[in-house]
Amino acid sequence: MKNSSLAKAGILAFCLILIVVLSWEYYVREKGFETTFNDDPALWTHQRDRVYEPVDKSTVFIGSSRIKFDLDIPSWETITGDHAIQLACVGSTPIPILENLANDKKFKGRLVVDVTEGLFFLTSPGSARRPVENLKYFKERTPAQQAGFYINRLLESNFVFLDKERLSLNAFADGIHVKNRPGVYHFPGFPPDFGRVKFNRQEYMTDKFSSDTSMQNIVKNIWVQMVKGSKEPPASGTKLDSILMAVKTSVDKIKARGGQVLFVRTPSSGGSKIGESMGFPREKYWDRLLAFTNCPGIHYADYPAIDHFICPENSHLSQTDAKVFTQNFVTILHEEKGWNFPNMSVAVK
Amino acid sequence: MVFNSLTFVAFFIIMLILHNLPFSWKVKKINLLLASYVFYAAWNPPFILLLWLSTVVDFFVGRALYNQANKHKRKILLVISLIGNLGMLCFFKYGTFLLENFTHLVNVFGMDFHPAKPNIILPAGISFYTFTTLCYTIDMYKKKSEPVKTMLDFSLFVTFFPHLVAGPIVRPPQLVPQFESPRKATQQQLMQGLLLISLGLFMKVVLADSFLAPSANDVFNSKAILQKLDAWTGVLAFSGQIFFDFAGYSTCAVGVALCLGFVLPQNFLYPYAAIGFSDFWRRWHITLSAWLRDYLYIPLGGNRNGKFRTYINLMITMLLGGLWHGANWTFVVWGALHGGYLWGEKIIQDFRAKTKAVTLSAIPSGELGVLGVIPKAFKEKTIRNFIYAMITFFFINVTWVFFRAPDFTSAWHLLSAMFYTMPKAEALLTTLSMLKVGIIVILMVAFHWMMRDTKVLTVAEKMPWWLLGIIWSVLILLLIWSQESSSSFIYFQF
Repeated sequence: MKNSSLAKAGILAFCLILIVVLSWEYYVREKGFETTFNDDPALWTHQRDRVYEPVDKSTVFIGSSRIKFDLDIPSWETITGDHAIQLACVGSTPIPILENLANDKKFKGRLVVDVTEGLFFLTSPGSARRPVENLKYFKERTPAQQAGFYINRLLESNFVFLDKERLSLNAFADGIHVKNRPGVYHFPGFPPDFGRVKFNRQEYMTDKFSSDTSMQNIVKNIWVQMVKGSKEPPASGTKLDSILMAVKTSVDKIKARGGQVLFVRTPSSGGSKIGESMGFPREKYWDRLLAFTNCPGIHYADYPAIDHFICPENSHLSQTDAKVFTQNFVTILHEEKGWNFPNMSVAVK
Repeated sequence: MVFNSLTFVAFFIIMLILHNLPFSWKVKKINLLLASYVFYAAWNPPFILLLWLSTVVDFFVGRALYNQANKHKRKILLVISLIGNLGMLCFFKYGTFLLENFTHLVNVFGMDFHPAKPNIILPAGISFYTFTTLCYTIDMYKKKSEPVKTMLDFSLFVTFFPHLVAGPIVRPPQLVPQFESPRKATQQQLMQGLLLISLGLFMKVVLADSFLAPSANDVFNSKAILQKLDAWTGVLAFSGQIFFDFAGYSTCAVGVALCLGFVLPQNFLYPYAAIGFSDFWRRWHITLSAWLRDYLYIPLGGNRNGKFRTYINLMITMLLGGLWHGANWTFVVWGALHGGYLWGEKIIQDFRAKTKAVTLSAIPSGELGVLGVIPKAFKEKTIRNFIYAMITFFFINVTWVFFRAPDFTSAWHLLSAMFYTMPKAEALLTTLSMLKVGIIVILMVAFHWMMRDTKVLTVAEKMPWWLLGIIWSVLILLLIWSQESSSSFIYFQF
C-alpha cells in the first residue's frame, strides 16, 4: 500500500468515527437520555477527598442507595449552607466506610449513616464489595488516575452517550434475553430510566420512571427476587452483636475526636416496608443500634413530615419527594436533634 | 500510566507535538527521557529512584566491564551488576514469597517462627527493566556489543516509555543505534503506528476487558464446584484474555514507538496457531523467550552437553521463566508444565529423528524456539497441522489454570471440573457469557491460523484503502462504546 493509501484509510476512519459518534450522540439525546456519571471508585474517591472540610461547612453521608436517591443535595446545600458529601454505595453495607472514616484521624466532622437494615446488617462479602473496591482505589490511586479523572469528568459532562450503565457494548449485549441453564443466577437488569448519577453522586429517578408503573413493577419484582435469592438470614445472636460492636467502636472513635454521628432510616413503602418490618423488627435492630451506640437517630416512621411518602418502586423516593424529604429532614435535624448549620438560610431558622 | 487511559492520550499527543517541533536531536532525546520518567512516575513517583539507581549503576559497570582487561576484575564487576539488579528484583518481587517459604520450612522443623508480614509494594515493570539492563551488562562482559556512548542514550534505552513497564524486552543493538541519529516518523510510520495503537487498544479494552475478563474472573474466583462447561468456558476466556491483554499492550507499545520513528521488536506471532510447544514459545512473548534462551538456556549449556543436560537445562529455563512471572509456586508449576511439554516434544522429535540439531547460538533471537528449527512440514496450512495446533492449544489451556488460579486448591478444583463430571457441580455462567466467550475464542483461533505466517501490517497494506478505513473505524467505535475504565494490563504485575 502506498503512503497516501494508508493516510486515506486513516482519514476515512476519522471521518466515519466523527459522523457515527455525533449521530449517536444526537440520537440518544433525542431518545431522552441525559448526561450521567459513571459511579465508579474514581468518582467516589473525589468525594472522599472532601471529608476534611471544616465541621461547620460539610456533612458526610454514608449508607446504601436509599440515601443516594432520597437526599437531594442541591436542596440540602441551599437550606443548610454547607456541603453534602455523598459516600453511600448502592447495594452495600456502609460499615467498611464507617470504619475507614473512624480510623482516619483527620476526619472530625458530621456523619449521617443511612440504615437500610437488609444491607446494614449483612455480613456476606458481596455487601461490602463496592465499599472495599472504592477504599482500595482511594488508598492506591496513582497520579495518572487522578489526572484521568478530570479528563473523564470533562467528557462525561458533555457527552450523553458516555453512559456505561445503559449505553455501553455490554449494556446492549446484556439486553439480549437468552435462556439460562437451571441454577444459573442472573441479576435482572434495572430499566434504563430508573436512575441517573450526578457529579456529586446524587442518584435520581427520571420523570419517565416516576410516571411509568410497568417499569416500577419491574423494579419491585427485582427487590422481591433479591430477598428470595438471599442466602443469608437476618443477622441475630452473636453475629448481630459483633456487627453492633464494630459500629459502636467506629462511632466512638469519631465522637472522641469531636465528630457527630447520626443514624437515619429513610422511607420505604408497599412490599418493601412490610418485608423489612417482618425481617428486621424495629426494636431488635433500629432501637438496639441507637441504644448500643448511644447515637441520635431519625426514623421516618416517627415523623409525620417524612412518613407520608409513597416510593414509586417501594424503596426510593422520586425526585420531587426527595426535595421535600430533604427539606423536612434538615428541619428535624435542626429543631429536634440540635444540629446547627451556621450558614443556614434565615427562612428555615 | 496505562496506554488505555485518557491521561495517556493527552500525554501522547503532547509527546508527538514536542517530537515534531524543530528542536535539536539532543533536546528531543531529553524530552523523550523526561517524558518517560513522567510516564513511570505517574504510577508511584518514589520508585523512579530505583530506575535511576539501576540506570546509573549499569551504565558505569557496563562501561567498566567492556574496558577492563583483567579477567578477575571483570568477573567481580559482573557479579556486582548481577547482585545489584537481581538483588533489587528479589527484594521487591520475591521478598515476601521467600520469607513465607522460609517460615513454612522452619515451622515444619518445629521452630515457632512467625515474622511480621512485610508490606512490600512491587514497582511497576521491575522484571522488564531489570532484564533490559541485565542483558546490557552481560553483553558488555561478553563484549558482544560496544558500550553506549552517553548516559543520555543509555538512560533512554532503559527508560524509553513504550517498552518500559511491560516490554517488549529490548536488547542494546535493537534500540541504542536508533538514538544515535535524528529520527522522526515518516507519514507511513505514523499511520502504521496509529493503526497498531488502535488494534492494540481494541484487543485490550474490547476483547480482554469488556468481553472475556468477566467470565474468566467469575470462574477463577468461584469457590463452588463447577460444571465441566463452566470450567472450560472460564479457562478459554482466560486464554483469550491473557493473549488480548498482553499482545494488545505489545501492539500498542510497537505502535507508540513507531509514531515517534522508532522500531521495537515484535512480541507475539499468533501463538494459538502454534504447532507444538517449541513453536508456541517462538510465537508467545518472543522477546522473553529469546532472552531466556540467550541469557539462561545457552549459558547453562543449551543442547551442547548431551541429551540429559539438554533436558535439565530446558526444565531449569522454564521453571525460572515461570518464577519470573510471579512470586508464587503456581507460576513455577506453570513453568514446569511447559518444561514437561518441551521434554515430551523433544522425546518425540528425537524418536522420529526428523529434525536436525542446530547450534542455537548461531540463530538470531526470536527466530525459533528453544528446540531448534521448526520442521518445514509444520509450516503448511493443512488439516493435519490444524489438528496439531488445536492439540497444542488444548495443552496450553491446561497450563493457564495454574497461571491464573490464586492457589493450588483452586487450580485443582478447576482441573477436576474440566476433566471429571463432579457430583453436585453448579452451573455458574449465563448463556450469554458463554456465547461471548465461545464466539471470541473461535474467531481468535481462526485468525491466528489464517495469519500465522504473516503480519498484521502486511495484511492491512494489501487491503483496499476504503476497506481498511472502515475496519479501522469499527475498531475505534467499539473501543469508544465499550466504555471500559482504564484497568491495568495483567503483565504489569510481573
